[in-house]
Amino acid sequence: MELRRLLIAVSVILAISLVSSADAAQAVWSGLVIAENVPQPAAIPPELTKFEQTLKDLFGYNQFELIGQSSKTLRTGEEDWLASSKYFALHVDAHGENDSGYALNLKLYKEKDILLETEANLSRTSPLVIKGPQVGSGQLLLVLVVKGDEQTHRHRHAEPTNPISAGWHRLRRAIHNILP
Amino acid sequence: MKTFEEKWTAWLDGQLSSRELIEFESSLPDLAAAEAEKRDAQKLGAFLKKELGAQTLSNEEFFSHQLRERIAREAEESTRPRQGYGGQAWWTVPRLVWSGATALALFVIFGIAMLREHQPGERSEYLTQILNSKVDPAANPNATVSIFESKNENKVTVLWTEGLQSLPADYAAK
Repeated sequence: MELRRLLIAVSVILAISLVSSADAAQAVWSGLVIAENVPQPAAIPPELTKFEQTLKDLFGYNQFELIGQSSKTLRTGEEDWLASSKYFALHVDAHGENDSGYALNLKLYKEKDILLETEANLSRTSPLVIKGPQVGSGQLLLVLVVKGDEQTHRHRHAEPTNPISAGWHRLRRAIHNILP
Repeated sequence: MKTFEEKWTAWLDGQLSSRELIEFESSLPDLAAAEAEKRDAQKLGAFLKKELGAQTLSNEEFFSHQLRERIAREAEESTRPRQGYGGQAWWTVPRLVWSGATALALFVIFGIAMLREHQPGERSEYLTQILNSKVDPAANPNATVSIFESKNENKVTVLWTEGLQSLPADYAAK
């Protein structure tokens, strides 16, 4: 009787875990940002609030203005999309989901010319910032952030190198991959 | 008023008063047969009292008797399978030991697998990785690319380019 109860409890926990992982669709937000120093800086876009201080420390500007953005919900991990402004476009081509996040091919276009091409593994917990060309007195920045699954994000963020947590996530993913 | 049976029992035990005795004996149809029956009953009573009387035990005998009973009871209990609280006998000591050992072995295997997969010094899977990056060499011949992570809690991965061709402010248009 005790063994049966234990097995039922384990099955329920696994089922909940699999269902929750299956339902956790995530979105990748990509933005074209012009960073510059101005006497009266405008408020930072909400998508960048979390990294405001980091951006200021890294680039030394006091204003970050969005000139183009796109948010794409990834279902298969194979989607592609474009974040564009009048002269620039960032084409993002996702090549699937892996252990750490999403494999992406990024191309920054200036009108029809490719300025920069990058292959990246975008982690769910680590945003990517690309320093683009100087534009006037400012700087073009490309920002990519995985959004959604906030609870998991916060948990991993708090303890990013916890091996038990990492092991549990690997096990969960392995079971999820095995089961249809 | 006493019934005949009550008077008969009292007569057998010699409990009747003289007046009652005379009245009862005179009421009997065959006094001789009754007397014979009374003697037999008394004889049987004496015999039973002698043979079946309570045996008084001495302290020593009583103690030994209690001890033997207890030993017998415990021996009987030890031969029976142990019962759990709910009448279940699944969690026996050997099974508990085996379960513990199995759980420990699984934990060790799982731990080793995790440690092998996450070698010390390996780049954390929780950071964004730049696998490859190139800048158009024709338009930006002196461009260089470097990668680093912010040291604060945001763990921002930065692809830092230098030497890209500067563009006029018009390009900042939305």
